[in-house]
Amino acid sequence: MPVQREESIVAGKGDTGLKGNLSLTHITDLLQFLSSSSKSGMIQLVRHPDGTEGKIFFVAGELVSADSGEKSGLEGLADLLAWEQGTFHFIPGVASAKSTIGLSVQHAIMEAVVLLDRQAKENTANPIREVEERSLQMQQEGRGSAEVLNDLLEISGIDAVVVVGRDGFVIESAGSSARVNIDELGASLAHAINGIEEMGAELNVNMFQDMFIEYGRAVIMCKPVGDAIAAVVTPDASKLGIIRHKTKKLFEELGHSF
Amino acid sequence: MTVMRDTVVKSLAKITVQGDENGLIPEYEVLVNLLPVKLLNTFSERIMAAAPPDKKAEVEEGLVRAAYECGYHTGCGIITSDIFNDVVLPMVTEGEKDILRGAYAAFTAWGWAKSGIVQLKEGEKMVIRAFDYYEADSGGEGLRGYMLRGLSQAFFDLAYAEPYPDGMDTYICRQSKGIEVGDPYGEFIVTKK
Repeated sequence: MPVQREESIVAGKGDTGLKGNLSLTHITDLLQFLSSSSKSGMIQLVRHPDGTEGKIFFVAGELVSADSGEKSGLEGLADLLAWEQGTFHFIPGVASAKSTIGLSVQHAIMEAVVLLDRQAKENTANPIREVEERSLQMQQEGRGSAEVLNDLLEISGIDAVVVVGRDGFVIESAGSSARVNIDELGASLAHAINGIEEMGAELNVNMFQDMFIEYGRAVIMCKPVGDAIAAVVTPDASKLGIIRHKTKKLFEELGHSF
Repeated sequence: MTVMRDTVVKSLAKITVQGDENGLIPEYEVLVNLLPVKLLNTFSERIMAAAPPDKKAEVEEGLVRAAYECGYHTGCGIITSDIFNDVVLPMVTEGEKDILRGAYAAFTAWGWAKSGIVQLKEGEKMVIRAFDYYEADSGGEGLRGYMLRGLSQAFFDLAYAEPYPDGMDTYICRQSKGIEVGDPYGEFIVTKK
């Protein structure tokens, strides 16, 4: 396939490429799809309603660069991942003139999500007030934990979800748990988290925020939700970046129930 | 380290329980006997069925009260027993919260109900979830987890009210969900009276 430089995008205007709406297809899904099929090219994005433009370039599964308005590199990609409304247009064969990221798509998404988390924490000007307001909002509009668990299960790649108390009591579970003794899983997770928190206390670092346990291709991802621990089981580690991104808000919501 | 349910359950399951004139577990310093759940459920069913409509709420409160009185004294016996001290106390790092975790683990180990803490605001509120409790198999109408209601109130009184025996009736427990009415689990909420 002939490769065009970014400057010659106009020449590609006749190419219909792949187009869509971000409210229907999230950027992470799109990147996952294009990288899994080893495509090379550029995704052009326009956010609605403010019209901010973004671009992502990748070559055969590697994310070369990303721009979102004035932001570029991982910062630009992190910004793009937060877009929920807008349009995209994939143009194959267009190469970037610069390399600002240079990571695999999965790795780049993971790094961008971490950056996004950090930015969200730094940007919280008045955390106590925000938590109080959010708590009040959740009391008024809060959904049951079963509903949130079902939403988690709808995320592609998640096989099972379990919420356990710090003592290993399995509070709630959903999904395909036929392979797993859910009580044993709850007890094992609680023991593991206890050990990790003791280590954190010894090292005088912050409370644990994430734990990933890899078993070949399968991964168990754990996060604290309120006073409990939520764990998702995914049989395919390659989707971890997307799963981590998509579960973020749902885990936060789940935290209000426990 | 906090109290680990599986450790408590496995440890208690190893204890040899053999009934005599002192009951099944003399170490609890209260008489613990083995009664078939069918008997307890039939008793509740019949007494509720026999109550006139205007007295049903009162009879229901009586059943909860019976469980409460039993739970308060037995609960105190459990959490001050040598068995509890040996098995649970070494894991207690979060005070009353861990004592309660241990109490529900013991409760599960003895087969009364597979239950545990979902939410706990110390001294204010506790939400308990139970996936298996004998009253779920009882006949009748409405929520019927009398035993777990009384017992959860008793446990919270023991943990956060005045020391035994002065802390009775500080908290109250209501049931919000029940397997007996088609919910996936029983839910019990303890709050201040």
